Amino acid sequence: MRSSDGGGKATFEPPREVNPADVAVPEGYRIEVVATGLTFPTGIAFDDEGRAYVTEAGYSYGEYHGTPRLLRLEPGGGTTVVATGTNPPWNGVAYADGSFFIAGGHDGGGQVLRISRDGQVTVLVDGLPSYGDHHTNGPVVSADGWVYFGQGTTTNSGVVGTDNFDFGWLDDHRDARDIPCEAVTLTGRNFTTPNPLTPDRRDEATTGAYVPFGTPTQAGQVIPGGVPCSGAVMRVRPSGGEPELVAWGLRNPFGLAWSLDGNLYVAENQLDVRGSRPVFGTGDLLWRIEPGTWYGWPDYWAGVRLSDKFEAPGEHAPPALLQTEPGTPPHPAASLGVHSSANGLDFSRSSTFGYQGEAFIAEFGDMAPGAGKVLAPVGFKVVRVDPETGVVEDFAVNRGKLNGPASWQGSDGLERPIAARFDPSGTALYVVDFGVMTIHGDAIRPVPGTGVIWRIRRAEGIQ
Amino acid sequence: MKTSSLAFGLVFAAFLAVSACGTIRRGEPIIGAHAPPNEGVARGLVAFDRFCSQCHPGGEAGLGPALNNKPAPAFLIKFQVRHGLGAMPSFSREVISPEELQDITRYLVWLRHTP
Repeated sequence: MRSSDGGGKATFEPPREVNPADVAVPEGYRIEVVATGLTFPTGIAFDDEGRAYVTEAGYSYGEYHGTPRLLRLEPGGGTTVVATGTNPPWNGVAYADGSFFIAGGHDGGGQVLRISRDGQVTVLVDGLPSYGDHHTNGPVVSADGWVYFGQGTTTNSGVVGTDNFDFGWLDDHRDARDIPCEAVTLTGRNFTTPNPLTPDRRDEATTGAYVPFGTPTQAGQVIPGGVPCSGAVMRVRPSGGEPELVAWGLRNPFGLAWSLDGNLYVAENQLDVRGSRPVFGTGDLLWRIEPGTWYGWPDYWAGVRLSDKFEAPGEHAPPALLQTEPGTPPHPAASLGVHSSANGLDFSRSSTFGYQGEAFIAEFGDMAPGAGKVLAPVGFKVVRVDPETGVVEDFAVNRGKLNGPASWQGSDGLERPIAARFDPSGTALYVVDFGVMTIHGDAIRPVPGTGVIWRIRRAEGIQ
Repeated sequence: MKTSSLAFGLVFAAFLAVSACGTIRRGEPIIGAHAPPNEGVARGLVAFDRFCSQCHPGGEAGLGPALNNKPAPAFLIKFQVRHGLGAMPSFSREVISPEELQDITRYLVWLRHTP
């Protein structure tokens, strides 16, 4: 079995030093540090006066449990707490019409929150299926005021398995499963694994798709669908109420943004090589969202059947789970690196900044080897994507002989970019850097207080 | 015949090893803007980013090995795409057309020699 050389395979001791000179941006642009010392920041938004606000997750893979917060960034790099929560992680923030909108939640179920500028919290939606691997993400607000958000799947590829026990949630949420947005008919493919929920080490469990761990399925079995559901983009009114389905068949739609021509785009984290149905070689995707469309999860990647290829070395190709496909999945706007963790994004709308109409996507970076082995670090940068051609180009990336997070390189550049958003003028791209997370085998070590906010502007526009 | 094939193989392997020492980074922030010089290379960039860059982002290493410092000749690039190698799957003519493969090869050869 080959070894893995992901970007988390680093050693780090705080404090984190930052040096913009260690980050390369295109000629004519300049990157600078806006704030440091944050604990797992995930999103950024701007109020009517152009002041920046940041969400801190309050949770990280690696079982860090803290308090999710909404912070205002003050001139000089300080912060002021606007609101705190009790149901982490807070995965992103948007601002519209005098309110902040935050998506997040895990143990308490997924939620979309509205927070006033003086910190009053109103729950718009709760009980979303965020008990598993992925959570509630986004959000973005449309021109007509709807709050759009992403909902990740409970599992990697449709089947609850021992990987979910290892993640720590299966024992606490034994009924958790993926919920289809519409009724699906199963092939009846089941997977037999050790049963970690019983003390007998020889005990086994057989599990099918879209059902709780230890529940077998049959060919032709229908799983009823409904909203809210897993692996979907949904929307809710800013005053709250029942969420509506926008699109489904997505695995983990983390980043949402509106293009200049008013289309919704989603950056989707794709499949891992883990669990009962491991999938190999599926790059993260940028989708243009067409309402009502099924995007292929759990049986397709980028319009290609998983059962046609995508087998991990030494494994069989992932068998189909759906007997009747809910639709024909479209082709993506762009494909990104396998395990790059393409997350928050935004579109340039300013001729001053340049690249108008192109998407800027923050790539958190690989979680190897748990998500799958890699030969070199993947992600850990901000890329620029032409949504018309699918061409991807680095935009902000660490200097050095090889790409990787600063802690891996031994530099003081980017660690794990998780969101990219332009300020209201469109002339400055803010990059939210989650901070240091090292990974050695099964040991994931997120380091509090290492989050950073970077800002990129055209050099000629800087006074 | 066997002796000459072995000798050729050893020389070629040594050539690969020596040539593989160059930098693999081709991103715009690192080496500057580098627009494709003609339509064939430009089409190759689009096709490469659709079919190949997931495992070789920007021609650098990721899930798969770096390509930017591998001096594989065009025929070998095409052979490997059609037949796969190790963890790399094969891509049929129905998935990547002969014209697209020709463009991808043009792009890779150009990228290798950039800057």
